[in-house]
Amino acid sequence: MYTVRKKYRPYISPFDPCKPMVVKTYETPPQLYLGFQPYNLPQFQPHEALRLGTLWPALYAPYTNPYEDCDRGDD
Amino acid sequence: MSERKWTDEQKKQYYEMLGEIQQVDFVLVELNLYLNTHPHDHKAINQYNEFAQKSMALKNKFQSMFGPLTNFGNSFSTYPWSWDDAPWPWQV
Repeated sequence: MYTVRKKYRPYISPFDPCKPMVVKTYETPPQLYLGFQPYNLPQFQPHEALRLGTLWPALYAPYTNPYEDCDRGDD
Repeated sequence: MSERKWTDEQKKQYYEMLGEIQQVDFVLVELNLYLNTHPHDHKAINQYNEFAQKSMALKNKFQSMFGPLTNFGNSFSTYPWSWDDAPWPWQV
């Protein structure tokens, strides 16, 4: 499945005292895939733009927390 | 320096108008950055000018009701000097 959230597998020390995270992920922003911004892209209304941090839906990326429902066992 | 005495109605209007100014100014920031790399986008320049005008109109109206938004000669002051009246930006 294609996603803008990329993954990598960090080195895991054999002496890691904690349960290691085998896979880590990071969000890639939309401007990486847009190239040169085309003219006349659709726009948000001003009040939405201020809330979302961009005027163009093509450049909007919500940040979702990948660790929200994962139990890391550190509690 | 003095505390402004406002009615609830005025307070509501203060935040509504300030919010609208922020929205319009954010559109201007975005268009400004966009136009730096797209200097020939005629439609966007028209939109920029339109919003600049809107921003100035909103700020003039706001300042006539609630006092100066900027100092050093960019806004007018009432008598007595109203630049240092609360609320200050970080109190809003």
